[in-house]
Amino acid sequence: MEVLLPALLGALKLSAKLILIIVPLVTLFEVLRYLPVFRRAGNVVEPMMRGVGLTRDAAIPLFTGIFLGIAYGAGIIIRVAQQKGLPARELFLMGLFLATCHSVIEDILIFIVIGGNGLAILVVRLGLAVFLTGLMARVWKPA
Amino acid sequence: MNEPGTSAAAGEAIPDVPTRIRTGLSAGFGTSIKIIKVSVPLYVAVTLLKGTPLLDLLGKVFAPVMGIFGLPGEAAFAFVAAFLLNLYAAIAVIAPLHLTPFQVTQCGLMMGIAHNLVVEGGVLSTTGARGGVLTACRLVIACAAGLLLRGLWSLWETAASWATALPGLS
Repeated sequence: MEVLLPALLGALKLSAKLILIIVPLVTLFEVLRYLPVFRRAGNVVEPMMRGVGLTRDAAIPLFTGIFLGIAYGAGIIIRVAQQKGLPARELFLMGLFLATCHSVIEDILIFIVIGGNGLAILVVRLGLAVFLTGLMARVWKPA
Repeated sequence: MNEPGTSAAAGEAIPDVPTRIRTGLSAGFGTSIKIIKVSVPLYVAVTLLKGTPLLDLLGKVFAPVMGIFGLPGEAAFAFVAAFLLNLYAAIAVIAPLHLTPFQVTQCGLMMGIAHNLVVEGGVLSTTGARGGVLTACRLVIACAAGLLLRGLWSLWETAASWATALPGLS
């Protein structure tokens, strides 16, 4: 019993911290997601996306994945990918980028909660994603 | 109004702000409950097993592999939780292990890249991308990122120790 009680207490504390991150984050996203700023942001990021072999059509699924994650953003990613009819090359490049760098806000916040260095995680993931996707975009030339 | 073709073409209707807040809060709490159902039992289980011969033995088995990334053998359980379930399950395993800041960062990096492989592999396949190939890529990339971070971190520490060792600087 004297082992179980602190264990339960620790588990509840961790859960409370996680809830304090998840609920505001999801709520904030729901409130902000319809702002026109995000639709116009496509113009700004287009040159950056071209560097890793992606076009503007991939912007919405890409950024949904980067900020929200693949499982949570699944609905948007699947719908847009099918609507725009993204070619196989772009789907692969987008998948590769997202495999390395997705759900960055939530993932990093929860590891900061248990004592990790968020900046180090972000820098390595973003750097690696840009490097690998850029490399593959040059290896797999557009048809 | 509800014809599937037209609604898909016009995009989704924009709800007002109070509705959005309600949607966000209920989605957030829904997700939280799902997470707690998994992370509380895992956290308690790891805390109770910590220091028992069973966990020590399994930790020793995985120590050589985990050691490559600068992690203790016990971290292998967190990786299993991350690969099959999600990061919240992994965190519930990591928290009671009391790892160093570097080790927590390393877990966050590698698991951030490779987690929830079963569900997310399925999602990626649905878009038409090759889910199996991408899942294999994620495991390889996670290992590469782990080695990279370990290298960068030790470079950083060496530089820091030189800086403090230099007379006049410390």
